[in-house]
Amino acid sequence: MLKVFGFVKRNPRLTHDEYRAGHVGYHNSFGRRLNNIRGYLLNVASNRKITDSLGADIVDQLTVNEPTEFDEQWDGWGQLMFDRMEDYVGARSPARDRAGPNGLETDTMVAKVGDDFNQLYAGSPFQFQVDEHIAMSVRRPERKLFKLAQFVKKPASLETELFRAYLTGRYATLAATMPGLRGMIVNVRTNLDVMSEFFAEDAEGFTPEGISRREAFYSGWDALIEYWFDEPEQFSSARLSPGFEQLREFESAFFSAVFYREVDETVAVLPKRNTPPPFYHR
Amino acid sequence: MFKVFAFLKRNTRLLTHDEYRAGHVGYHCGQSRRLKDIRGYLVNIWSNTPFADRIGTDLYEQITRNEPRDFLDWWDGFPEVYFDNQKAWLNAANAEPNRATADGLVADPDWSMADGPVLFDPVPDRPGEFKPCHLLMHEHILIPVERQEHKSFKLMQFFKHKPNISNDQVLADYAAAASKLPGMNGCILNFRDPDQAAAMRGFYGDDTWGLSDEGIDHRARFCAMWDGAIEYHFTHSNDFVAARRTLHNELSNLESEFFDSVWYVEVDENLIVMPNRNPAPNYYFR
Repeated sequence: MLKVFGFVKRNPRLTHDEYRAGHVGYHNSFGRRLNNIRGYLLNVASNRKITDSLGADIVDQLTVNEPTEFDEQWDGWGQLMFDRMEDYVGARSPARDRAGPNGLETDTMVAKVGDDFNQLYAGSPFQFQVDEHIAMSVRRPERKLFKLAQFVKKPASLETELFRAYLTGRYATLAATMPGLRGMIVNVRTNLDVMSEFFAEDAEGFTPEGISRREAFYSGWDALIEYWFDEPEQFSSARLSPGFEQLREFESAFFSAVFYREVDETVAVLPKRNTPPPFYHR
Repeated sequence: MFKVFAFLKRNTRLLTHDEYRAGHVGYHCGQSRRLKDIRGYLVNIWSNTPFADRIGTDLYEQITRNEPRDFLDWWDGFPEVYFDNQKAWLNAANAEPNRATADGLVADPDWSMADGPVLFDPVPDRPGEFKPCHLLMHEHILIPVERQEHKSFKLMQFFKHKPNISNDQVLADYAAAASKLPGMNGCILNFRDPDQAAAMRGFYGDDTWGLSDEGIDHRARFCAMWDGAIEYHFTHSNDFVAARRTLHNELSNLESEFFDSVWYVEVDENLIVMPNRNPAPNYYFR
């Protein structure tokens, strides 16, 4: 599938929790109606520090070269899934999904995704495609899970293709055996241009300042691994156990930076990886 | 949790079944997913494929008993909504700030569910009203639901039990047997509350159609067909067929003993708000 991440920084007139409400509430209500969307998750940075969820000691042990002021650069990120690039580019078009006095009508507000970008965000999203590897298919129970994001940077000397191969090989295979894991997906950021046809030409993201802001953010990491657990202790205890010491050895050899964040996941559209039905479905 | 099944018939003058899907799951749910303090929200729409075609006529005839002939004429879809309690349900329509504007976060002035009468079955002599059939359900989680990242096969088993059979007996014996069906991703038994207006009163005005004599009669005739429904979640219809065959005799015997009627409706489940059975976090969350 075509999987696109968009990291966003909140508009400074909003608190983090106000941003949540605006993104999860109004904005997602339009985003979930994008034409032909096959999955839509929103991950909002947790109010809880990662040291409070995982424990300060283990975070200290597992963290290497975390970028400074990383949390100042984003409040959340959306994950959009489409079958094809044409669907993604065409998603922001009027949607025929609103009943009216003359039958089913077209709603132009979907093309604008609610038209709240300038009020919700500070600048353009950092939008990029990821090459995903499903190490363990996600199974979501009917309760809020602990979702962990592991940001990883490859060493400058390692080719991107080899980094991906190594990461999705022995490392992901072992990590996916952690007890209590409910899902694990490795996402490697690619250079595919998914901004030019999705945002207006005059968007902040295409200005020199916007490009600089985005590249600074990207400089801190190359891959993002999503983990789903019931409780954070499951990850912590697994990583401290002898059976997973090899993960540390791998990280020492193949990661030039690694750090973690807890996020609160909203399932705006449950991802569907099978063939779409011939009718409107979310 | 306070769980409501809201059976809704489409506006047949304006919409086909598939157009209704788009209008309900699209625009309407974009509004209703913002109901205050909603804790879970699914929209189940009857499948375009008849159940007999899906599982084969032989099995269909073996497991179906006295299916009401016009059952699907009563509704096109039914949302399942979850709230912590009745008070939260009654307060759900109170607008709360969830739209970012130049003035900061505000209650969305465009938030509206006024599409109801064009989307759902309108009341001819009551402009602006449609015919809701919201029923309070009492659920028993037999197998906790887990959703994978693909469209699953969801089956509703409606039943009307015999006059001498209680809900407790259904729960103790039939549900215990049904929950042994192999390969399920979830199974929830729901009994309809005996008060057919329990989810209507206070949510709709006393002078609305739903609480009028006509609305009460409509609900009574619909409720006369069934007492409860079991939600089955499988990966594929073949998994249900295989599972049913493993326990067919045991379940058939219990169905003969317990139910005057029992039948199935395949539904396409749209997940609008993932049910969260944990305590609600202290921030806006869906």
